[in-house]
Amino acid sequence: MENACLSMWLNQLILTNYKNYKWEEFNFDPVINCFTGLNGMGKTNLLDAIYYLSMTKSYISTNDSLVSRFNTDYFRLEGHYSRLEQHEKIVAKVQPNKAKVFEVNLNPLNKLSEHIGFLPVVFIAPDDISIIMEGSELRRKFLDNTLAQTNTTYLSHLLHYNRVLHQRNAYLKQIANEKNTDAILLDIYDEQLEKPATYIYHARTEFLKLFNPVFNEIYQKISNEKETVGVEYQSKLDGDSLLNLLSLNKKRDVFLQRTSVGIHKDDLLFTLEENPLKKYASQGQRKSFLLAIKLAQFTYLKNCLGINPILLLDDIFDKLDPFRVQSLINHLITNFKGQIFISDTHNHRIPGMLTDLGVSHLHKEIIDGKWKK
Amino acid sequence: MNFSSKLLENAVKALSTLPGIGKKTALRLALHLINQPEDQVESFSRAIVSMKKDIKHCQVCCNLSDDIICSICSDPSRVKKLICVVESVRDVMAIEDTNQFRGTYHVLGGIISPLEGIGPSALNIDGLISRVANNEVEEIIMAISPTIEGETTLFYLSKQLQSFQIKISTIARGVAFGGELEYADELTLGRSIISRVPYSSISED
Ligand SMILES: [Zn+2]
Repeated sequence: MENACLSMWLNQLILTNYKNYKWEEFNFDPVINCFTGLNGMGKTNLLDAIYYLSMTKSYISTNDSLVSRFNTDYFRLEGHYSRLEQHEKIVAKVQPNKAKVFEVNLNPLNKLSEHIGFLPVVFIAPDDISIIMEGSELRRKFLDNTLAQTNTTYLSHLLHYNRVLHQRNAYLKQIANEKNTDAILLDIYDEQLEKPATYIYHARTEFLKLFNPVFNEIYQKISNEKETVGVEYQSKLDGDSLLNLLSLNKKRDVFLQRTSVGIHKDDLLFTLEENPLKKYASQGQRKSFLLAIKLAQFTYLKNCLGINPILLLDDIFDKLDPFRVQSLINHLITNFKGQIFISDTHNHRIPGMLTDLGVSHLHKEIIDGKWKK
Repeated sequence: MNFSSKLLENAVKALSTLPGIGKKTALRLALHLINQPEDQVESFSRAIVSMKKDIKHCQVCCNLSDDIICSICSDPSRVKKLICVVESVRDVMAIEDTNQFRGTYHVLGGIISPLEGIGPSALNIDGLISRVANNEVEEIIMAISPTIEGETTLFYLSKQLQSFQIKISTIARGVAFGGELEYADELTLGRSIISRVPYSSISED
C-alpha cells in the first residue's frame, strides 16, 4: 500500500567534524541503507547525524560540545532531502559561544523549534531499554519527542512551561537565601504555568488514546503473541487543576526550593496484560515492547503528518536469532515504508537477507569515520 | 601587539575595554585620535568625563537626566496623569522618537528574571507605586517586551497596582517569543501606543 505522496528521503549527507567524521560525503538509497562495521567505527554517529538534522540535537549526546570531533570545536552537517517532491537543503552549523544555526534552503531559521516535525524521524537504539527500566524523565522525553514532531502548539507550550518553571525554581532558591517570601510573584508564576500545563495535559491524554490501539496491533504482530500491552498516562493533573496543586504544595516547594508538582512530573506506566511491565516481563518481552512502542511512534507520526518518517535502527538485531531477524526485516519493509537506515556489526547478515528478499538497498562498510569505497 | 609607546599602549588598552571594541579597532581609534587637533580630542574626553560625573537618574521616573528632575517630567506640556512603564532608558528614547506620546515615563531598570538574579526588589517598582499613590494618575501603559519574563513583570505590576483606581493598558500583544521594543520600527511603536488595549482583555485570552 505504498502511497507516493507520503515520500521523504535523504539523498545526500555531508559531515564535517561530526564526532569521528572529519569530512565525508554519503549518497543514500531512498529505501534501505545498511551500514556495517565493528563497534566504534562510526555507524551510530552516522545515524545520529541524520537524527540531528531532523531534531536540531543529538540523540546520544546531550551537550553539543561533545559532538565535535576530538580536538576541533565546531561541526557542520549538510543534508539534501527529497520531501513531497521538493528538494530541501538543510544545514546545521554549531560553533562554541555562538548560537546554533539551522538553514533551510539557505534561509537561517529564527527559532530552531520551527524545524521540529519538518523531517520526522524515529531512532531505535539498544540503550532505549532504559525507557522501561529507568526514571520517568526518559518516558516524558518519548511523549514530548512524539508530540513535538506532530504539534507545533504543543512544542511552544512545552518551551513556555519549561521557561516559567526554571524562573519559578530560580525564584524559590532566591527567596530561600533572602528569607523573604514574596507570595505575589509565586502566584504569578503559578498562573503562567497553568495555561501551558493544561494544554500539555490534554494533548498527552488525547495522544495516548490514539496511540494505544496502534501500539497493541504492532506489538502483537512483531511478538506473534496475543498479549495486550498498554501505555497509561499518570498525571497529578488528572482530577485537579495545576493552580490548586501548586497552591497546596507551596510550603513544600519553598522548603525544597523547587517545584514539586506539575506536568514535568508526569509519568507513563507500561503494562503487559495489565501488569507493570518492569516487574513482570521477560527480557524478550521487554525487547518486543520497546521495538513496538517505537514502531507505533513511527505510525503515529506518519498518520499525523502524512509523511513517512525516517527510521534509524541502531544495532537492534544484536543477539537475535537469524529467523527472528529475518521476520523483523520482512515486517519492517512491508509495513514501514519510510527510508530506513540500519547499522549492524555483522558485515553480511542484513545485506544478505535483503538480497535474498530481492529488496534494493545500499550497503556500505564503515571504517574509522570513512565509508569504504 | 608590540608598542613603541607606553602612552599609545595605555590608550589602546583603555579603548578596548569598551563593549564590541577589539584590540585592532582600539588601535585604529587611537591612531585616529593622535592625528586630530588637540582641542578636539580634549573636548572629546571632557564630554565623556562630564557625562559620567554629572549625569543623574530622574528622581521621578529614573530616566537619565542632567538635573534632579528630567526634561520630560519637568515639561509642563507633558500629561502627568499618563505614565508609560518601560524596561530601560533606550525604550524611552525609542518611544520619544515616534513623537506619538505626550505622557510621562517610568523606567524599571530591567524585567523580573530570577534566573539572572533579578527579583522584583531589584527593580524600580516601589517608585512607581508611590508615584501612583501620591499623584493623580489615571492610566498606566505597560510597554514591556512581549517575552515570558515581560509577561511576568506585567502581571506582577498589575497585581501591585490593583488597589488603585487606575486604568492599566498594554501595548504587548500577548507573549510572542523574541522581539524587543527597541527594534520595533517607529511607526509600529507609535501606532501600538495609540492603539493600546486594556490589560484585562489580554489576560483573559
Ligand atoms: Zn523623569
